[in-house]
Amino acid sequence: MHGSTTRHFAIIAWVASGLLWSGTATAQSEQEPSFTTGLWTRGNLLGDAGGVRSGLWNVGITIGIQDINEVWGNVSGGVRRGAAYDGVTLLSVGLDTQRAFGWEGGTFNVSAWNIRGRNIATDNLLSLQTPSGILAADTTRFWEIWYQQSFLDGRFDVKLGQQSLDQEFMTSQSASLFLNTAMGWPVLPSSDLYAGGPAYPLSSLGVRLRGQPAPGVTALLGVFQDNPPGGPFNDDGQLRGSTRWGGNFNLRTGALVIGEIQYALNQPGNGDMAYGSTPGGLPGTYKLGFWYDSGPFPDQRFDTAGLPLASASSTGANALLWNNFSIYAVADQMVWRPSEDSPRSINVFARLMGAPGDRNLINFSVNAGVTLKAPFEGRDDDSVGIGFGIARISNSARAFDKDVAFFSGVPLPIRSTETFLELTYQINLAPWWQVQPDFQYVFNPSGGIANPNDPTRRIGNEAIFGLRNTITF
Amino acid sequence: MTSSVLASAATAFLVLGGVGAQAAEPKSFLEGLRRHSMVTSTVPANGDQNPYAIVIAPVTAGKVQAGDVLVDNFNDRNNLQGLGSTIVAYRPATKQLHLVAAIPRNLPQCPGGVGLTTAMTMLKTGWIIVGSLPSQDGTTKTKGDGCLIILDAQGNVAGTIAGPNINGPWGNMAVIDNGSTATLFVSNTGFDVGPPEDEPPVVNKATVLRLELSIAEGKPPVVTRQTVIGSGFGEQADKDVFIIGPTGLALGKDGALYVSDALGNRIAAIPNAATRADSAGTGREVTKDGLLKRPLAMTTAPNGHLIVTNGLNGQAVEIDPVTGQQVAARWIDANKAQSPPGSGDLFGIAMTPSGDGFYYVEDEVNMLVLAH
Repeated sequence: MHGSTTRHFAIIAWVASGLLWSGTATAQSEQEPSFTTGLWTRGNLLGDAGGVRSGLWNVGITIGIQDINEVWGNVSGGVRRGAAYDGVTLLSVGLDTQRAFGWEGGTFNVSAWNIRGRNIATDNLLSLQTPSGILAADTTRFWEIWYQQSFLDGRFDVKLGQQSLDQEFMTSQSASLFLNTAMGWPVLPSSDLYAGGPAYPLSSLGVRLRGQPAPGVTALLGVFQDNPPGGPFNDDGQLRGSTRWGGNFNLRTGALVIGEIQYALNQPGNGDMAYGSTPGGLPGTYKLGFWYDSGPFPDQRFDTAGLPLASASSTGANALLWNNFSIYAVADQMVWRPSEDSPRSINVFARLMGAPGDRNLINFSVNAGVTLKAPFEGRDDDSVGIGFGIARISNSARAFDKDVAFFSGVPLPIRSTETFLELTYQINLAPWWQVQPDFQYVFNPSGGIANPNDPTRRIGNEAIFGLRNTITF
Repeated sequence: MTSSVLASAATAFLVLGGVGAQAAEPKSFLEGLRRHSMVTSTVPANGDQNPYAIVIAPVTAGKVQAGDVLVDNFNDRNNLQGLGSTIVAYRPATKQLHLVAAIPRNLPQCPGGVGLTTAMTMLKTGWIIVGSLPSQDGTTKTKGDGCLIILDAQGNVAGTIAGPNINGPWGNMAVIDNGSTATLFVSNTGFDVGPPEDEPPVVNKATVLRLELSIAEGKPPVVTRQTVIGSGFGEQADKDVFIIGPTGLALGKDGALYVSDALGNRIAAIPNAATRADSAGTGREVTKDGLLKRPLAMTTAPNGHLIVTNGLNGQAVEIDPVTGQQVAARWIDANKAQSPPGSGDLFGIAMTPSGDGFYYVEDEVNMLVLAH
């Protein structure tokens, strides 16, 4: 904790040095605008950082620094109540090979996280669909390290290296407004894949192909190592071995194949012709995908001898079932806007996915919601949204709960579904600064697990308030 | 080896989708285009951004070769509008970008400083003339009247053109170039424009100015006559795009000067533009609304049709200036980062020397693009 905080200060110091550099440049040249000129309209807090950014850009290098800090507190439910701070800093460095050395269509990308603070989900809530997508084990680690090469005027590209699948697969533009983890990388792969799968804050080695086989259609297909930390399913933490710093390039476990076909509705492409002045239809994006994992997965109910895990005579070791898969669908659709060039619009989204119940904790999940962009006059870049998510505990896991109650003779709770509701408002103070108050209510945390403080009762429903601050340097 | 295998795989991937359909005979210039290729970033070493004017060099002189694509930048490295001061050139033969001019931020003869606009040309004598509508803070709150800057082909400032007729020289220039004499047409959008805050009003004071130049051997061009041939066009300060006003100018075969009236959402014609001695006001309306969504820069295709870029979406619109028919529109910038796609992204446009396509800029990403 202390070490990571020190590193965090080091990053801030580096940023501050850019700021001072900018100030020095201002002093040297009367014609140069001051640091505050254009502060509220530019994309980054530091702007050109005294020439650093444009200088690097000209040799093909782009540097991005984003800092997110948030406070969460549950006023009811959970295993305890209270507030907690957490935060992350993302540093990413990109290299455009065209600008760097004349090689067309190539991009290198390296990124790293500093993750800090308390994890209110594990400390207070014990929910499956945790309130914030940035909650993770406290560390500083590499994240993605990849090279992408595009062909045919960008209509086809290949990405090789350490990748985080939540950046390209199962994504929903409207869902990304929300802060709950399940609105980003959904709860089903997060619960059913090894260590939650190659998604924030983890990544895996692999290759991904992407092409546009027809106007409006994009196809993605990737093969990745399925287990970022490389441990057994029930002991596969984010800090396992060299995974702690992002240096575990494991290739010893199973393969994760993931594919997705996307259709962009009413979204023009370069070269599309228009002959009339009738307004275009409302834009939407529809995705259908699957993943398949070749590795072994623990049976949710039975042990290696075929006995219920809950029975006294069980070996205690889950039976292993080979392979796992899921299919999913994502829909994003604008449903209203006053006019084609208006910033105001109402958008809806839904994501559904399923997986076999015998080897997975979650066999079905859905999240959906409505967002309104530019909700008030003069607040063109603000967004407000209401959404929900449901995670269904699989029949095998429920049967395990029943077995436990049966064999122990104690009326322990049987898990069913966990549902959360989220209401959020993103205030865009500047293109580089967003403040986002958020409220979530979790019904039946973890599907209704027993409260460790009183195992005969479930964990109470949770009312959670949060505030996130995001700054792009 | 590896890349050829990948390319083959990519081709197979695309053929599966039936990309190879037979094309019908194009009905318009825009329909005949096939590809949109990003050709270069337009950012020079000093970090200037927001490419605006595009001019194809007519001759080889100084730092410029005939056929070079000259592009100027309206924003500085902090992306502040009205502070860009550089002209770069893309050389199609070598695919390289180089700096032609880095103009001092402050020129005594150019009121308010330097911020290079869509008004730019290169004459056969090698002189480059570029408009300036300067700001100190990236908005019209601190705008100056600006000027036209005359540069030699080495990028050195050789003179300026300023005065009461010039205030915010903005729109892409139309030019009649006879060598020792030349006639420039330029729009001015700065008269009485205030700050962008609090719903700035439309001011109907934008003009189209004709400048007649005399160019003695080895000497910078000298203005011999100035005539306001169009006036009363709308102009308006804007917090996002700095200023909105008449932007596209293109000469027709009939002697008319076509003007894209951005706020009127129309194309107007000023008859006898090269010879008239008075203002035609806001001109004869050629076409209005329809596919036009804040028409900006304009050029003429080989079939005589006007090609104009839209400011409020990513389309270029083809117009038959004789009949006023809006023939078609083509998405040339479908960037979904804006809504509608490509909104506020398009600006300058220039036909290729062979007439098989046109260059345009996507100013959000500082790229020069070729549609061909």
